[in-house]
Amino acid sequence: MNAMPPATLTLRFLQREFRERFTGSLSGSAWALLQPLIQLGVYSFVFVHVFKARIPGADAPGYVPFLVTALWPWNAFSEAILRSTSVIQNNAALIGKVALPREILVLASVCTSFAVHIAGFVAILLVLRVGTGDIAIRGLPIALLLYVPLFALALGISLACAAVQVFVRDLAQLLGQLLPLMMFGAPVFYDRALLPPAVQPWLSLNPFTFYADAFRVALLHHGSVEWQSVAVAVVVAALVLAAGIVVFRRLDAHFEDFL
Amino acid sequence: MSELLVEARGLGKAYPKVHRSSDRLRALGRLLFSGGDADRISVLRDVDLDVRRGESLGLIGANGAGKSTLLKLITGVLTPSTGSVRVRGQVGALLELGAGFHPEYSGRDNIAMAAALHGLDGAELRRRLPEIIAFADIGHYIDEPVKHYSSGMVVRLGFAVIASLKPDLLVTDEVLAVGDESFQKKCVRWMQDYLDDGGTLILVSHSMYHIQKLCRHACWLRDGEVAMAGDVFDVTQAYLAWHERKSAPQEAKPDVDRHNVEFSVLGMSLDGRSSEQPLLLDFGAPLRVDCRIRSRDDRVPSVAIGVTRADGTPVYGVSTDMDGCTPQRVGTGEYACSLAFDALPLLPGSYTVRVHPLDPEGVRVFDTMERTLTVRGATREFGLVRLAHRWGAPVAGDAAHE
Repeated sequence: MNAMPPATLTLRFLQREFRERFTGSLSGSAWALLQPLIQLGVYSFVFVHVFKARIPGADAPGYVPFLVTALWPWNAFSEAILRSTSVIQNNAALIGKVALPREILVLASVCTSFAVHIAGFVAILLVLRVGTGDIAIRGLPIALLLYVPLFALALGISLACAAVQVFVRDLAQLLGQLLPLMMFGAPVFYDRALLPPAVQPWLSLNPFTFYADAFRVALLHHGSVEWQSVAVAVVVAALVLAAGIVVFRRLDAHFEDFL
Repeated sequence: MSELLVEARGLGKAYPKVHRSSDRLRALGRLLFSGGDADRISVLRDVDLDVRRGESLGLIGANGAGKSTLLKLITGVLTPSTGSVRVRGQVGALLELGAGFHPEYSGRDNIAMAAALHGLDGAELRRRLPEIIAFADIGHYIDEPVKHYSSGMVVRLGFAVIASLKPDLLVTDEVLAVGDESFQKKCVRWMQDYLDDGGTLILVSHSMYHIQKLCRHACWLRDGEVAMAGDVFDVTQAYLAWHERKSAPQEAKPDVDRHNVEFSVLGMSLDGRSSEQPLLLDFGAPLRVDCRIRSRDDRVPSVAIGVTRADGTPVYGVSTDMDGCTPQRVGTGEYACSLAFDALPLLPGSYTVRVHPLDPEGVRVFDTMERTLTVRGATREFGLVRLAHRWGAPVAGDAAHE
């Protein structure tokens, strides 16, 4: 087939994704940074001042840094999956007329979600660092490194979902219901220690639990993560990515028949 | 032999029948776990196709014959259900209107995307952008969103991108039809230059004029199968003849009782061949029509012989009594005659030769027998027959009008 440099093509699709997300809004790309700050304001008001949420423990971090360190990675993860699930379906016109490696569409969509939310994440961490001083900013490189397996996990799930969505159109709706369940099944809004001891180990079955814990260890020195679970998380991410690629490749040839 | 660019073997495409949403779920399960699938509508079957570098192939066929499907299989947009297709070299494809443009983005942005889809990087694109915009020639619309374009402008933009790429293989699907006269000319000229430079073309068009002008070979698809492939003139003529026959009025044949009418045709032959298979004749070749007539009362009949185009348009007719001839008596109540054309001036196409016995006065027609005749030849002249002609220098004064 055509010898195309997928790098240029992926870049173009990335540009397009960014524009699709931000040109509709007035402030353009500034919105990408503004949005997380507004979100942060709302959360700190609701959880800290209305619910009086507090993390147990003597040297526990404030609730807002506690929430932010897990919620932003989650936002990147869930938004990437939700958006890319319908990306093949939305580009039916292009797929029907031009031969292109379709994985690029999913890749570009996942990349965009991660780029937007990582930028927001870093911005908020800096704001919190200046405001409260709770953030161990030296943990930032490790935190960014954690995004790598998270990205692989999201990409694997997205590839499979985008391919299946072509055949079963209910998947996107279903995911809208399932992803919040997954979020509440991981210690994003609460601390694992608050749960009854009998329930606590079950939380580890949720792939996101590791990331929620690990981001907090890196940035807040809160809780602990064993090396074993790091290895498990990396292996799981790699396996999910491989499975996603297999499913996508398997169904790829039949997209046109069902779009 | 030059390099084989497209090689299709036993190529076929079938679409799954999907009526209910549960069908989709079942199809998904089959594709993921077993690979086999049932219940399909076949749109293309057993197509073998070879396109070599420097060749130009026209794909013709009625609507729904599978032309676009074949192009999509060649360009890799579709995956074959059966058989295989291999394509070497860079392919520039212009499939249908729009060519994958995004309606919300400006022409300029869509050029960038299309260029990336065809494998150009940023620097290369910047170098060619002025050339593309000049070729498209759509003025300030280049910065307007594509959704505000007319269909002609979309095609201009799409063609301009492809033209700047100069791909190894150019595949276009009936896109010229949308452009206006001057743009069509520009495209045809560009394609001719491209072919002269050794480019390879697969063109789908319903305009036989464009096909004959640009292509040396043609492939006629009928109901998803190759009906005929070969020299462009042979194939286009057979295709047009098929259309003419299809649209010819189906006249109810009078059920003649051959033994009770006064005169009937016993048999006829073209160049000595009496089979009902069409006779193939080269343009300008001689033709002999023989016939035998039965006469109930042993009276001498008149015989009329006529030629019509496959769609029923009369071309020429003549009878024995007009020319003052009489058919020869060859037995009791049996007469025969022979008509020879030394050099048939019929232009390439499909024709019908008819024989009618008439009463001796040449007034009443009693019977009809017909055979088909196909004239082959490589000429782009229009009409039915070649009129004797000659070009020359203008005669002084004749063309001068006040």
